Amino acid sequence: MKKKRMTLSKRENLTGWAFLTPAAILILIMSFIPIIQAFILSFKTGIGVNMEFAGIKNYVRMFQDGVFMQAMKNTFFYLIIQVPIMLILALILATMLNNRNLKLKGFFRTCIFLPCATSLVSYAIVFKSLFASDGLINLILVNTGILDTAYNFLGNATSARIVIIIALIWRWTGYNMIFYLSGMQNIEYSVYEAAKIDGANAFKQFTSITVPLLKPTILLTGIMSVNGTLQLFDESVNLTNGGPANATITMSHYIYNVSFKYVPNFGYAAAMSFLILVLVATLAFIQMKVGDKRD
Amino acid sequence: MKKKFIALLLVLTMAVGLMACGGSGSGEATTSANTEAGETKTGTGEETKAAAEGDNTLTVWCWDPAFNIAAMEEAAAIYKRDNPDFEINIVETPWEDVQTKLTTAASSGDLSTLPDIMLMQDNAFQKNVISYPDAFIDLADSGIDFSNFGEAKVAYSVIDGKNYGVPFDNGTVIGAYRTDLLEEAGLTVDDFTDITWSEYIENGKKVLEATGKPLLTAVAGESDMICEMLQSAGASMFNEDGSANLVDNTTLAEVMEIYVEMVESGILVEVNDWNEYTESITKGNVAGTINGCWILATIQTAEDQSGNWGITNMPRLEKAENATNYSNNGGSSWAITTNCENPELAMDFLASTFAGSVELYENILPTTGALATFLPAGESEVYAEPQEFFGGEAIFAKIVEFAGNVPSNITGVYYYEARDAVATAITNAVNGSDIAAEIQTAEDTLNFNMGN
Repeated sequence: MKKKRMTLSKRENLTGWAFLTPAAILILIMSFIPIIQAFILSFKTGIGVNMEFAGIKNYVRMFQDGVFMQAMKNTFFYLIIQVPIMLILALILATMLNNRNLKLKGFFRTCIFLPCATSLVSYAIVFKSLFASDGLINLILVNTGILDTAYNFLGNATSARIVIIIALIWRWTGYNMIFYLSGMQNIEYSVYEAAKIDGANAFKQFTSITVPLLKPTILLTGIMSVNGTLQLFDESVNLTNGGPANATITMSHYIYNVSFKYVPNFGYAAAMSFLILVLVATLAFIQMKVGDKRD
Repeated sequence: MKKKFIALLLVLTMAVGLMACGGSGSGEATTSANTEAGETKTGTGEETKAAAEGDNTLTVWCWDPAFNIAAMEEAAAIYKRDNPDFEINIVETPWEDVQTKLTTAASSGDLSTLPDIMLMQDNAFQKNVISYPDAFIDLADSGIDFSNFGEAKVAYSVIDGKNYGVPFDNGTVIGAYRTDLLEEAGLTVDDFTDITWSEYIENGKKVLEATGKPLLTAVAGESDMICEMLQSAGASMFNEDGSANLVDNTTLAEVMEIYVEMVESGILVEVNDWNEYTESITKGNVAGTINGCWILATIQTAEDQSGNWGITNMPRLEKAENATNYSNNGGSSWAITTNCENPELAMDFLASTFAGSVELYENILPTTGALATFLPAGESEVYAEPQEFFGGEAIFAKIVEFAGNVPSNITGVYYYEARDAVATAITNAVNGSDIAAEIQTAEDTLNFNMGN
């Protein structure tokens, strides 16, 4: 009797492992081994294919790199300003669209989500032409008298960064909104009804019911947004091409330049990529610690 | 049973669909190249295979169907007259993609994805040959006589005394001006010939006052104009030994001062990207431009401006020694990769066409505006024909003559790093920063990039 039970559960376990193994092996070969190779590469330095071992020189060198430091500042600027605004906006929109009595809900949700379906390159180019000196935005501003002459949005450091932030918010709010909407489906309508009867207004309902119950979703979107923003690339390349005198260049864009545009130093590029990995991991860790405390 | 039957049918349809897609995707490059006799094939960067043994097919990567590709097709047609079983397979690949694919192939050690011949920007030759020395063939045994090309042009593709490129299109700088707008200010093209930058600025102010249009537009954040002005005096961003030459470079300081002065007086208007730049020309918002002669193709797309353009040389610097009115911006050359299985064929092809056939350059001139750096071509009659668009002058012969006067300069391996550092410096200088401080920052950045 004992023998039979062991073989049966063993067999089931083996079946499970058999299904997992192909995918696991593929991930190991395609992802993990290259990651380890890149890590080893980050300890080498040299031009093109002529690389030699150099210890932690690349990591030390990174912090003396004026352009890389500027890229880091820019990326964190986007992170600190764009991510909170976008997430709060997504939350508010989700709350508004969760309203039972709203007509054409599907239409509004589609409209707000549609930007996410656009190609990164095309939307960046469209935004670039929108904010050009003779673009639509300047046309409107000058014709309505708000400005006297066209303002060169992409030629000034601060306004160029703000254009990128606006573009990012436009594109990703819908994406996060969908996450919140699906999270809100799990909140019983009776809870809101009870709160209304007790005299809570919309804002109180939002802060006391919606937000606490959506904590896991907020944590998820927070980590994903941080991850995405730290690795920002397409907007920097296609919208501003690094911006007026490196004012909008991001870390990934600089890594691309070091690898493909300049004389290639792949070791250095790999080291910078690993720094981004460390940053993302640290921020994700912090967010999880903060997010999971009051559970 | 019915459900199972429908399910099975759907699976079969899907499987057939997948197989059809997969089958047509692979193997199209070589099969069609071999079966289409007498035709050239232009794919869009999908598959390239170098010539198989005994095959007389060469694979070429280059960009711009109206320019480079048209020229290559014409060259193939000419070569085929003497070699009937020769085939060419051109794959249209934008320059950035050529650079990226080269980097990827060479750094992974697998050169088999490279073509036989590729077009390469002259400015990138030093960087690519030094970074990937195993990827390119030395053209010493090709039978090409490099003295038939302008010295400055050949110098771009010479590394360690060896030639790696067959020079192709001309990037000689020209000053192009709207003669009708100049007239409104009481000026002619002669007032812009062999002048200094001070005189240019004076003229520019007159034109701005009379027509409200600037004399020049340039893409912000690019240092094309600065590099052109530097080269016109034979100055470079690097020294002979490869070290940075920015801080003590009095020519660079003079160039940047002139640039800032032009922006401040409204003669030079900076635009945000390449599109805006070409539009400023074609929409008639600028009274002229100074750029490599390949800009003629863009100018000529504005057909309503025909007859209203004149060509001359560029202004020269005043304080710099060896200042001239000639310079160069861009241009590319053909390189043969080591992945080529039939290098003798490739070298013979290039030697008989781009490095030997005046007829080729005569044929491509009217259709593409592609100007040669092959000096014998400049003496041909086609080059001496008057061009209606440019006021009935024989500008092509003029430009080939300019090309012979261009001072060579040191491009250096770290050319793109230097370009970006200088572009950052000039952008900040235009916004009011101190020029000397910006040049110092630029040199620091450049030294950082060079020290690995």
